[in-house]
Amino acid sequence: MTATTTQSTLLRRAWALPQAKIGLALTVVVVGVAVLGPWVGPWLTGHDTTSFAGKPFQSGGIAGTDGLGRDVFTRFLSGGLTLLIYAVLATALGLVLGAVLGMLAGYSGGWLDSLIMRGSDVLLSFPQLVFALLAIAMIGPEGWLLVLVIGITHAPRVARVARQATVAVKDADFIRAARMYAMPRRRILLREVLPNITGPLMVELGLRLTYSIGYVASLSFLGLGIQPPTADWGLMINENRIALVVEPWGVLLPVLAIAVLTVGTNLITDSLASAAAGTSQSGKPQTAKEASA
Amino acid sequence: MSLDNHDTRFSRRKFLLGSAALAGAVPFLSACGGRSDAAAAPTGPPKRGGTLRVGVTGGGASDTLDPHSPVTNPDIARVRNLYEPLVYRDHDFEVSYLVAEKLEPSADARTWTATLREGVRFHDGRPVTPADVVATFRRVMDPDDPKSGATSLSMLEKVTTKGDRQVEFHLNEPSAVFADYLGQYSLGIVPADFDLENPVGTGPFRAASFTAGLQSRFVRNPHYWRPGRPYLDELVLINFTEDDARINALLASQVDAIDQVPVSLVEVLRSDERMRILSSETGTWLPFTMRVDRPPFDDVRVRQALRLVIDREQMINQVLAGQGRVGNDLYAPFDPAYASELPQRTRNIAEARRLLAEAGKSNLDIELVTAPIQAGAVEAAQVFQQQAKAAGVNVRLRRVDTTTFYGDNYLKWDFAQDFWYTRNYLPQAANGSLPDSPYNETHWDDPEFVRLVRTANRTSDTGERTRLLKQAQRIEHERGGLIVWGFVNQVDAHQVYVAGLVPDRTGLPLSGYSFGQVWLG
Amino acid sequence: MFRLILRRLAISVAVLWLVTLLVFVATLLLPGDPARAILGQQATPERIAALNDQLGLDAPVWQRYLDWLGGVVTGDLGTSAASQGPVTELLGGRIGASLVLLVGAAVISTVLGLALGTWSALRRGRAVDHTVSGLSLVVAALPEFVIGVALIVVLSTTVLPVLPSVTLAPPGEPVWSRPSQLVLPILALTLVVTPYITRMMRATMSEVLDSGYVEMARLKGLPERVVITRHAVPHAIGPVAQVIAIQLAWLAGGVVVVEFLFRYPGIGQALIDAVNNRDVEVVQAITLLIAAVYIVVNLIADIVGIMTNPKLRAEVAR
Repeated sequence: MTATTTQSTLLRRAWALPQAKIGLALTVVVVGVAVLGPWVGPWLTGHDTTSFAGKPFQSGGIAGTDGLGRDVFTRFLSGGLTLLIYAVLATALGLVLGAVLGMLAGYSGGWLDSLIMRGSDVLLSFPQLVFALLAIAMIGPEGWLLVLVIGITHAPRVARVARQATVAVKDADFIRAARMYAMPRRRILLREVLPNITGPLMVELGLRLTYSIGYVASLSFLGLGIQPPTADWGLMINENRIALVVEPWGVLLPVLAIAVLTVGTNLITDSLASAAAGTSQSGKPQTAKEASA
Repeated sequence: MSLDNHDTRFSRRKFLLGSAALAGAVPFLSACGGRSDAAAAPTGPPKRGGTLRVGVTGGGASDTLDPHSPVTNPDIARVRNLYEPLVYRDHDFEVSYLVAEKLEPSADARTWTATLREGVRFHDGRPVTPADVVATFRRVMDPDDPKSGATSLSMLEKVTTKGDRQVEFHLNEPSAVFADYLGQYSLGIVPADFDLENPVGTGPFRAASFTAGLQSRFVRNPHYWRPGRPYLDELVLINFTEDDARINALLASQVDAIDQVPVSLVEVLRSDERMRILSSETGTWLPFTMRVDRPPFDDVRVRQALRLVIDREQMINQVLAGQGRVGNDLYAPFDPAYASELPQRTRNIAEARRLLAEAGKSNLDIELVTAPIQAGAVEAAQVFQQQAKAAGVNVRLRRVDTTTFYGDNYLKWDFAQDFWYTRNYLPQAANGSLPDSPYNETHWDDPEFVRLVRTANRTSDTGERTRLLKQAQRIEHERGGLIVWGFVNQVDAHQVYVAGLVPDRTGLPLSGYSFGQVWLG
Repeated sequence: MFRLILRRLAISVAVLWLVTLLVFVATLLLPGDPARAILGQQATPERIAALNDQLGLDAPVWQRYLDWLGGVVTGDLGTSAASQGPVTELLGGRIGASLVLLVGAAVISTVLGLALGTWSALRRGRAVDHTVSGLSLVVAALPEFVIGVALIVVLSTTVLPVLPSVTLAPPGEPVWSRPSQLVLPILALTLVVTPYITRMMRATMSEVLDSGYVEMARLKGLPERVVITRHAVPHAIGPVAQVIAIQLAWLAGGVVVVEFLFRYPGIGQALIDAVNNRDVEVVQAITLLIAAVYIVVNLIADIVGIMTNPKLRAEVAR
């Protein structure tokens, strides 16, 4: 069984499930808004994200104005891109770091395994958000720090999965063969192990992306993520919630967008998990997110 | 979704009704001092009795009852009601006499004599003596533990008694406006044997209980010198740190009055018929501060350009939702010497661009340090950033927390903000515009300006002093490092049955926390 | 089995120690001068020197770490720069308030999750099962603050304004003296963790229902109710207990956002305030506290796992 077939089988199986189609549709809608919004917004409303459309918290325009009198709808359209970029970067960092560490630990065993796994135990004893808050308290709310800290907290969680999957394949015949031909460890891991653990890693990818979106948005909502005057969904909710009773759109639009996006990615993840559970024939239904805290 | 729309429409209608009712009420409120109002507001002579519960912003575990080192708003609210200084600035920012009934300078303005008011007693019934006043200033100026009131009394050398009703203040340099320095809430008169465990003063209320960070309960002082006052039996001051908690407490009638309503919510509260908004024009300002000794702000053309870039009306509208007045890069608007004859600076992008080009600073790129030091500060920075774009000036915002802002680099930031309450010109200049001022954010050290201010400080003749101060202001207006874009209204709110609160110019909330004049209908 | 538990315990202690190290090292990254931060505008060189001395900031790093660790062990968490009071005093009442939320949400979500999971497993493949699964998949995806804002919009401000959206804590009065203001925060936390418990319970319960054991009970002619309550549920609860514990540990972190949203006066809100004020000692104390709760609950979960593992139980019996 070659790598490409594993992957395409997994994707085909996942695509056969209804939740995959719904999830993809939801995700595409929100990603579309986030990516096109910054270009379409000013053209559509005649305002840009930081210009003033009226007095604070008035009802002019499509969705009224925010606490500084800026147009809420324009800011909503522009508010998803940064969030999305940060979430994708953090996910990529966490996945790569976690996969490398997990494969190393699982394949090498011994003291390296112990070192990596005990090290990740320490990181795992902080709730992800609390660890991020600790870092932000010390260094300040910088964009690179958000990506770095969320990526780092993903890594041990991904590493656990990658390690388990690696342990399961490391004594397979083709890997023994590669070892026998004295193939260097790096090449074995990249060429032989990695392609055979893509299933669990794909599930992790979806899961970590869902969480990354949640964490970046949560930190911005707490006022400790993306900083003003950037238009950002999480930050908008924070800025506008004081006027929820008079001008609810500044809160409702970003909340809806984040909800639809995370539900979408989670549905895709769930379909991938179901498909992966099917291919691995473990017989046990895998729920997407249990024990992932 | 249709439900939401329905609800919004409903609240908007309610808001329209509310503001219509208020449109008639506001001028009336300011004219008659809020003693009466439309609808259910109490009328007639003040009634005695009752408990007033006030939600006050801020405070924490370091809360204190110390008369001479109040820091936060709750501290200030407490000292304003427990203690009284010799003189104080009243609601119109005029000098009013409290423990003293007279305060006069000598001809050379080096000695000031205060005559104590007859019949002023401490909470325990003892009369105030000149020895108590001397002891009070000894406590404030204690070299081992100077209190916050001491910083502005650097010219005070010695306080002595004179007879059984007078006190003399001997200064080490002439000061024509010493009364201003004495008129501070942090200079309350206390007995010679003052003990913080038994916080005795001459204020309208005396302390009954106090828990730092939470609340304090004061009761009526039966010995208070103003006849009939205070009207209330009891005053409870409750700390609130969060805006919406404070507002919700008011809406739920858990408190009778709150200070500091976020300006964006004024309309929401106005739409509630049970509430009254108390909006006061003040001399409080939130300037941008440019260091005149650091590039690019050491070039006066850059400073002038940035002052021309700013759209002051828009600042007032976006940052303060209209609750403020436009500034002219000058402070102390209530000083009789305020240079109102200087032309109002308005936005002029072409001129700003020209000045920048002349200075070789087209496409200027600067960093503005901002922090939530006061409601509206971070917002003002954002609006400025936006406005500066029009002149090709790129402003990068560096948002720090308040602790960092006032930390190591405070007074060192090249371009930042600050926050000041109402002051008259000379006290303000002494605090922030002279080379030896404690808070000279802009490092302003203009020899001509310094000479004018120092001379004015020694000049007892009002006309001559005014002339000097107007010259000094002309210099600041022309080449100073401050961008004073506006003066912020103080907006508070109270239940309709609370009477006696009037607009106050000092910048302190809720009529300067003067609860001795408040009564319940 | 006891050796296994002891080993697990030792690992937890070691991890906890490494966590203290990490938290301490983090504070060394902080730029600036703590003494100056505490003194603020009133800082004079003499007072800074005096405070540095008092705080022991002149001592070498390892000694400062030992002093700090000693303080933590003896319950002295240092001084808050923002409030200038002891950290323990600041956190005292807040820990209780947060516990009310945690315990409330834990009890409700456990009961609800077990019931929904069981129900769903019993009706496998039917509409009820699909609805519960679908809903839990959707709700599980949502960040806490999205759930919280949705609850506020629906139950507090816009659709049905029946509950307070902001917690008021009048001085000297515990938060639970006004139960209505606890409803939304507890509900938000409950909604956040219930989906996981539900899904795990459904999966485990499905397996148990298919097992020979339950088959046997049915064949014996026991009524279905007895089969479920006496035989199936107790067998399913073992594995689920671990997932529940992990979710509860997760609550210790999720409480931060929920407290901030509802202005709930607990340690989560205190953590956000402290981060905003760069109040280092408070950030240290709270992250350490949350990490400790997290470690302990996970430890308990593992011990429960070890004890309910039939293989290991058999070992003891032998």
